[in-house]
Amino acid sequence: MRRRDFVKAIVAASAAARSLGAEQSSQAAAGHTLPPAGPVAPGPVPWMRGLMEVKPLELSTLVADAVAETEVHFFNPSQTAALGRLCALLMPPLNGYPGALDAGTPEFLDFLISVSPEEPQQMYLEGLAWLDSEAHRMFFMDFSKTSDIQADALIRPWLRAWMNDHPPTEPHARFVNLAHHDIRTATVNSQAWSERSQAEGQLATGVDLYWYPVDPDVHRAIDRPPRPIDRPPGRR
Amino acid sequence: MSEETVDVLIVGSGHSGGMAAKILTEKGISCLMLNAGPVAEVHKDTEVKPVYALPFRGFKQPGILPHVFQSNEFNANTWADEKENPYTYDAARPYNWVRVRLFGGRSLFWSRQSFRLSDYEFKARSHDGYGDDWPIALADLASYYSRVEEIFRVSGHADGLGQYPDGNFVADNSPWTGSMQRMVDAGKGMGIAVCKARSSMGVDGLASSVNLLLPDALRTGRLRAIPNVVVRALSVDRNTGLVNEAHFVDRLSRREMSLKARVVVLAAGTLESTRLLLNSGLANSSGVLGHYLIDQIYGAGIACSVPEARDGRAGSGLMGGSALVPRFRNIATKAGDFIRGYALNLYSSNGAMDPRHFAAYGSELETRLASYYGSGFSAGIMGEVLARFENHVSIAKTVVDAWDIPALHIETRYTDNEFNMARDAVDTASAMAEEAGFDVLTKNYDPNPPGYSIHELGTCRMGDDPKTSVLNKWNQSHDIKNLFVVDGAAFVSGGWQNPTMTILALAMRSAEYLADQMRMGNL
Repeated sequence: MRRRDFVKAIVAASAAARSLGAEQSSQAAAGHTLPPAGPVAPGPVPWMRGLMEVKPLELSTLVADAVAETEVHFFNPSQTAALGRLCALLMPPLNGYPGALDAGTPEFLDFLISVSPEEPQQMYLEGLAWLDSEAHRMFFMDFSKTSDIQADALIRPWLRAWMNDHPPTEPHARFVNLAHHDIRTATVNSQAWSERSQAEGQLATGVDLYWYPVDPDVHRAIDRPPRPIDRPPGRR
Repeated sequence: MSEETVDVLIVGSGHSGGMAAKILTEKGISCLMLNAGPVAEVHKDTEVKPVYALPFRGFKQPGILPHVFQSNEFNANTWADEKENPYTYDAARPYNWVRVRLFGGRSLFWSRQSFRLSDYEFKARSHDGYGDDWPIALADLASYYSRVEEIFRVSGHADGLGQYPDGNFVADNSPWTGSMQRMVDAGKGMGIAVCKARSSMGVDGLASSVNLLLPDALRTGRLRAIPNVVVRALSVDRNTGLVNEAHFVDRLSRREMSLKARVVVLAAGTLESTRLLLNSGLANSSGVLGHYLIDQIYGAGIACSVPEARDGRAGSGLMGGSALVPRFRNIATKAGDFIRGYALNLYSSNGAMDPRHFAAYGSELETRLASYYGSGFSAGIMGEVLARFENHVSIAKTVVDAWDIPALHIETRYTDNEFNMARDAVDTASAMAEEAGFDVLTKNYDPNPPGYSIHELGTCRMGDDPKTSVLNKWNQSHDIKNLFVVDGAAFVSGGWQNPTMTILALAMRSAEYLADQMRMGNL
């Protein structure tokens, strides 16, 4: 409902309530009363008084990333170190734009993967373990300790050009290319990147029309698994 | 308690339901429209936001909408939630069922590509011996197409090709850009026509039921509508065999309700209309209800770069624009390993390249992206999927939706005909691009999963024989004469064309027939 429609509805409801009050008074005078239309607030002042007239708060809100760090909990320390190294390698700071580490990308991906389905979780866990194992096999060190040249030797053979919705299917190439895409997306979509872009006088990037849930079903049982049919179809 | 019997009950508010409502109310018939979801209002339900302020920084919320490849974090709340609206399929044969339940349905969000079917589709069996002809031909639908094209303000160019029928267009006489002209020339040398795309301009960019159809119906004062009600089943009068009642659930409160109607028009979207009939146990004396599910192949294609446009050298007039290569296979000659055909969408881009098109990272990637900026050119397939009895939907044995309505089980797969067609499309597009002097950066031969095109069609196919079809040529049930299905479920074959114009033309034609039948007292 538009705000002005909402206001109209409230005003109409108030008028109806006043009318009902007058009716109740006359009914009381006639010797019978109606129950109140709804629960009465325990106090002399209606709880919602004044909200219709209030002006929107001119509050410039922050996105938490601007002042806080994401607490990591999904990847273990060696996996976190490997992911950080991968982020630094694939998306370094360039031309004044923040790199993946500046944008908090490893920490964000820790969160994102932690709430993802099993398939991407497994891909990351196995992919990071594979990077460490390859780094040990070739350079006798953790992936997180490799130089740019050493890390490039591990990654480059698996880089592919690919099209949307069709990433490589071979496991190592799939991990390298999907992780690269995730790292790039998380970095380019960060507030740090946006601020740099605006500082350069460019139009704000990544701005679009966001849809809130439309008339959401608040009665819905969240994450209820699909229920089996326990009665024949048709009318109850 | 209401004792009202509505004249015509329309289930669904998208393009087909909107067209039925417009035609019927303009002919003096009162309609009640039920829609499973709410009315969206952009000024109330949206806000312009930077991507960094979204909960998942522009990534889709993990685990949500796994089959809606088209969704992103900005628009995720507009698609039907798969947890509320589940469906089942064999894990080895996934199906992307993409739905919108907002008032206006999928007419709110579509690509605007606006094509007529040709007699290569309507009379496909007569042409190549496979499948079935429609009970109608292009000539039966041509005048309706013209009226629809006028309402939707379709821009296009008359090309005089039998497989790409001309229409009532807002003339597009714009010149080709340089890159597109090179593809036109390359196609000419290969006997392949590159044509102007055809697109609904609508009004203010929107070409939806909610701005082009429903306002006309509402102006008559004869259309009422109830949002947020999910129809569970239809029932019939045992004495007459006519459908006379709809049973529905309030989406938010779960209150079960019913209402009576003289005529029911289903326009809930192909598979929802069929699901409703299957759950009702109606209109299936033929045994083909739910069968012959069709869609179109999408996803296979190529990404290129135009060398002369790199490093800021494009200037004006080289890049930009789109074009369409209408079907050219199996028209005058026969392809070796598939029947029917495909179209190609061509796009020339002035903007940034997709970094996924380069096997590079870091500074090397950034250098490439900067150099290739404004030089992108791509081609993608829209291919016909053959109608097969075995591609079908049925009621899932074990799963219900959030309103305890049995869900749909979808069984469909592509065969060599579709895979060979996709391969031919990619190879042909690559050959054209190379002939035009473009660099092909990457190509993909694999179609997206069935359903991805959002062009699910069939499952209530029309035909002259009640033993082999669900509907007659007027979209009217063979079994129940006061029951009509006016959405894409009526299709006999799908062709390569975006089906929206055909759905609209069929709905218009069916609604006029229905109005005439009501006026004559036959319904």
